[in-house]
Amino acid sequence: MSPEAPGHIEIREQRDQVEKDILTSMKKPSLLFLACLGFTVALATVLLACWGYQIKTGLIVSGKNHPVGWYMYITSFVFWVGIAHSGTLISAILYLLRAGFRKSFNRSAEAMTVFSLMVAGMFPLIHLGRIWLFYWLMPYPNQRQIWVNFRSPLIWDVFAVGTYFTVSLIFFYVGMIPDLAIVRRCSDGFKKRIYSVLSLGWLGTPSQWRHYNQLYLLLASLATPLVLSVHSVVSWDFAMSIVPGWHTTIFAPYFVAGAIFSGTAMVILLVIPMRRMLSLEKYISVDDFENIAKILLFTSLIVTYSYIVEFCLAFYSGNIFEETVYKYRVLGDFKIMFWIMIFGNSILPLTLFIRKLRRNLPYLFVTSIFVIIGMWFERFVIIVTSLARDFDPYNWGIPNLSIIAIGIVLGSFGLFFMMFLLFVKLFPVLSITELKEKLE
Amino acid sequence: MHRRDFLKIMGVASSSTLMTSCDLEKQSEKLIPYLLPPEEEIIPGQSIYYNTTCTECPACCGVSVKDREKVYNNMRGRYPVKLEGIPGHPVNDGTLCIRGQASLTRLYHPDRIKKPKLRDSKGNFIDIDWSNAYSQILDALRESNNGGYKNIYLSGRTTGSLSDLIDDFCKRTGIERAAEFEVYSHSAIKEANGILFSKREIPLYQIDKADYLLTIGADILETFISPVSNAVRLSHAKRKSDFKWFHIEPHVSLTGFQACEKFTINPGTEVYLLDFLLKNMLNMKLYKKRLPEEVVKYIPDFSQEEVSSKTGLKLASLYQIADQFKKAKMPLLIAGGISTRHSYGLETAVLTGLIQWITGMTDSVIDFSRAENYSGVGTMVQMEKLSNRLSNNEIGVIFIARTDPSKSIPVSYFFKENIKKAKLRIGLSDLLTGTIKECDIILPLSHTFESWGDANPRSGLKTLIQPALEPLFKTLSEGDILLHLLKGDLKDLPFRNFQEYLFKKWNENYGKALTEEFLKKGYYEESVPKKEIRLDNKSAVAFLKNIKTLDRIAKPVLVVTPSIRSFDGRSSVLPLLNEIPDPLTTISYGQWVSVPPKTAKSLMLSDGDEVEISAPGLSARLPVKVQPGLPEDTFAIHPEMLSTQVFQADKRSGEGVCYLDKIKIIKTGASVSIPVLSGSMSQKGRGIVPNPVNKKREYDRGWNNMYPEHKHKDYRWAMAVDLELCIACSACVAACYIENNVPVVGKRHHLMGLEMSWLRVEPFFNGHGKCNFVLMLCQHCDYAPCEPVCPVFASYHNPEGLNIQLYNRCVGTRYCSNNCPYKVRRFNWFDSQWPEPLDRMLNPDISVRTKGVMEKCTFCVQRIREAHDTAKDESRKIRDQEVVTACAQTCPTNAIVFGNILDKKSQVYKLAHSERVYRIFEPLGTEPSVYYLRKKGDKNES
Repeated sequence: MSPEAPGHIEIREQRDQVEKDILTSMKKPSLLFLACLGFTVALATVLLACWGYQIKTGLIVSGKNHPVGWYMYITSFVFWVGIAHSGTLISAILYLLRAGFRKSFNRSAEAMTVFSLMVAGMFPLIHLGRIWLFYWLMPYPNQRQIWVNFRSPLIWDVFAVGTYFTVSLIFFYVGMIPDLAIVRRCSDGFKKRIYSVLSLGWLGTPSQWRHYNQLYLLLASLATPLVLSVHSVVSWDFAMSIVPGWHTTIFAPYFVAGAIFSGTAMVILLVIPMRRMLSLEKYISVDDFENIAKILLFTSLIVTYSYIVEFCLAFYSGNIFEETVYKYRVLGDFKIMFWIMIFGNSILPLTLFIRKLRRNLPYLFVTSIFVIIGMWFERFVIIVTSLARDFDPYNWGIPNLSIIAIGIVLGSFGLFFMMFLLFVKLFPVLSITELKEKLE
Repeated sequence: MHRRDFLKIMGVASSSTLMTSCDLEKQSEKLIPYLLPPEEEIIPGQSIYYNTTCTECPACCGVSVKDREKVYNNMRGRYPVKLEGIPGHPVNDGTLCIRGQASLTRLYHPDRIKKPKLRDSKGNFIDIDWSNAYSQILDALRESNNGGYKNIYLSGRTTGSLSDLIDDFCKRTGIERAAEFEVYSHSAIKEANGILFSKREIPLYQIDKADYLLTIGADILETFISPVSNAVRLSHAKRKSDFKWFHIEPHVSLTGFQACEKFTINPGTEVYLLDFLLKNMLNMKLYKKRLPEEVVKYIPDFSQEEVSSKTGLKLASLYQIADQFKKAKMPLLIAGGISTRHSYGLETAVLTGLIQWITGMTDSVIDFSRAENYSGVGTMVQMEKLSNRLSNNEIGVIFIARTDPSKSIPVSYFFKENIKKAKLRIGLSDLLTGTIKECDIILPLSHTFESWGDANPRSGLKTLIQPALEPLFKTLSEGDILLHLLKGDLKDLPFRNFQEYLFKKWNENYGKALTEEFLKKGYYEESVPKKEIRLDNKSAVAFLKNIKTLDRIAKPVLVVTPSIRSFDGRSSVLPLLNEIPDPLTTISYGQWVSVPPKTAKSLMLSDGDEVEISAPGLSARLPVKVQPGLPEDTFAIHPEMLSTQVFQADKRSGEGVCYLDKIKIIKTGASVSIPVLSGSMSQKGRGIVPNPVNKKREYDRGWNNMYPEHKHKDYRWAMAVDLELCIACSACVAACYIENNVPVVGKRHHLMGLEMSWLRVEPFFNGHGKCNFVLMLCQHCDYAPCEPVCPVFASYHNPEGLNIQLYNRCVGTRYCSNNCPYKVRRFNWFDSQWPEPLDRMLNPDISVRTKGVMEKCTFCVQRIREAHDTAKDESRKIRDQEVVTACAQTCPTNAIVFGNILDKKSQVYKLAHSERVYRIFEPLGTEPSVYYLRKKGDKNES
């Protein structure tokens, strides 16, 4: 085949165009971008300041209460681990299923997974009474011969989240290597040296590609079971206890569905503005959004089903403790949170049955915001109401708000978006090689 | 660089780093053994016990002060770390109440007056030294005598040698000794006994001998005369199978809820009930004794319907109370407390006295020969006279010792204003209380545990007061102060200090051998001749002739009720007593007024709503607490929460009136946060105190355990709590706080719900006028839910069945607390503070927990350790009752029993196999080691 054949020239031009379009996003940042970055950096600083103050003073500043020993921090932990899940779903499972719309979302979804896991991992530490001894949670040989308690779900968490983070990070990085080589080619100076190191000497030879595809498939299959296992383990933090409202067998699937649900909403939330700001309308089509909205709708239905099952379990059990907790969820001190959760997670997503609304990006954006809020409140409601109304009525009580805790939770969003904004400027936001592949 | 150079540089660098990083000064502590031990009995690390007397209230319980050697500011000293009752003591028999336990914090109170103070011309207090204070006082006394003024010595209840010394001092210096001031002077009872039996005395009520106890208003378990003694005696009575106790009161009290039956009576109508009972007895001719005709003639006559309508008691209830007298062989009637503190209190007491006489109680269960020593205690009327004399500018120098009358006498006496008219006011006190603040010279008193003395709580009983530590500050005991003042006058005093004065006296009175024994035992009881009680017909008739036309106190009424935490308000200054919640309302800090549920509903009030209470002479704004069980339109309040706790006095007996009728209650609309520690006043059908009423339905009881069973070889520690005997007095809570260095965190944190108590009393009202109290502490479950969830094994099960919390392993995930169905774990949300000198109270056997660590009841593991050590030294196993936890030790009714449940002869084994036994939330499968014994009346249904 001669390279001068007209069709090839066209494809080549298109390829160059793809490269150009995607790499434009890595050019000098706009003022709007800098403003957003500044805002998120400020929020992240708030987190660090609040955390420092909390370590110095003690957890009293987090406004926590007896009997609600776990409050906004653990809520946020579960929330952020949940967010991570749809990244893996999109990049690994959809890859295995060969779903075409994956290419529009996979890079940002993978980045989201890594960043949200980083944020999530912080929360158990923030919540720890003596954070300076956090390494005691890890099994390591020591002269005192003290081991960790493998019966504790919290130790399972350490392993589950640790594994998940490692695999996600490798998956994210491996997927990016060919693109990094392109960036290396198009940049110069110091930047070139950095991307040279990062691209690990990628040349794009057929033998490299063959190995690469095998590795990617292997990693995808490794990551797939993690989608199910990690949030199951996180749910066992609750299900393994004897607290009414936590001690239930449906928690694992219920939490996994919720995790994918919230993560998908977060992908939509991230990609819609990104598409607009970086002018990627050509590459991320409305059809792709429609497809991802279907995932949102599907997981919403599972979550709603879980809500119903959960209540039926409580009321058919005849267990007075369970009954009280579930009545309290609906009608008690946190009823506003509960009903926001029901609206955001169960009612509003039902409108996505309408095709027109599925394809309406502003509508999708707003719905995603409600889902994100709803899912945060879902975790909040599960954790707080169960602890607030447990066995002995003498101990019933509700936690009180604190500026420090709110600062840390808001700061965690700041940190997450800050990392994502940096990602947008430092790495190609779409898989260039995959887009090129599609052209042929 | 050459290899050798490198090694040289590395050697110099690392050794210099090592040298500089060793801060020898800070990191080393000198450990120098004694060459000459300071006192032969001191062995470092071992406690010494000193027997002395508790002076927190006038009951004079015997306390054994546990001293430990500690080093503060490079000074070695002995410091009391815990109080325990003296076993076998005639008053409290080894136990203490909540106030007694907490009185240790009075010794270490951060606000104690540390030096004598003088008010300067601007009205501020300046520190002076003792000699300056003495000379000022002596000058003033001289001046006042020359000016023809009278001098007064006013004190709280004083007994024993100190009282003699005060008399002596007053005589020599020309001071008039005023009648002692006590709010709870029981004047009506004294007056009635004077009228009927010519004995103005308060007898000893031997509750333990009775088989039917009827108490009218007397809060025998809270403040009535000698509450610990009453509780001990009551527990003996309750162990008899046929004991019945009925309680009648116009409000709700902790005492009332402990009775077998509790009846609510309209305030001020006790006389009708007593009249009914008396008439009933006369008609039935139950007893051998006969009232003389002339007395009977003047006993007012009411129909039973009238009695029923006036008192608000149903006819059936009236007959239930009366019929029990028929069944009883040894009845005991006590009327007092709230029922004698109103305008008809004297009538109540006189009719009670008549019943006591006719039933023969005065010859058996009521002992006048061992009468309580209230002879020096005066009445409200005497205080009114004193106030008038002050107002007439008759008084030169006034001494006010150990009493705070300004908040406790009617406002209409203007005592607070009048006292300013004295030429010089001298206050003797340990803390700056309301009255003491008005004084010109303040002499700081040593705490009882820093001074020598004795007390004489009742006839035939003398208790020892001896120091357990050197005075913490430049304070002196009252006896020493008086002797110093006398020295100015009298150069030839035969003793240098009060200690010598006392020893001389004891040796004279008892002889050397008995004094030795007295010093060792801490008390001395001699037999007293029995007193014959005769009815004085004439004076009885004279009283009955002029008996006041009876009516009732008009509702809505405000009742100032005595408080188990503050007594008459005096103990409310102790932080620990504010930290421990009131057992009925579970409110810890601050003020409130208890409002009956019905009235709250009609006034649309809920917890924390502020109301304005107004009546002639009173106006107060207080938050509301809705109190289940309180009768309609009756508002109850504790003494320290009002500007005055007595509104007027009964002129005849001199008893203060603590009822305020026809009050107006207006909702202000404001809301005040009050720390109500209980999340629910009801059990919500969960069977924590199992009773068919409390339990809605059975919950899941099937469970299987996946883990292997724990093996316990020699010991498995367990506790039994007998809810029949438990009186919810919270003494155990106070003991636990002090024994285990549990921090006092204050109101701010209580409002957040962050109390630190390891042991608590949970009240549950059942809506049928009853309240069940349950003691909640770590249940030391065999399958503890807290253990598997801890990621770092900070919570683990030890081979003796204890659920141990390793503070230094804990990282603070709080999962254990979440998973504890009993919620007995406490998290340290911050580093707790013990302000100087309270830090000296810390028990050295147990650590102080830092922030970020979970803590909880350990079954007093330090005491178990100590017993292990002793047993090991003697090569034997620990005996039953050798380990007594702090809560069990102080329990006045012995409701808590601790021991090894593997030992089949142990008390706890027997109780755990009683037919009344149950465990809380048993179907959860946690297998708790705390066994509860349900009340005898409750059905055996788990």
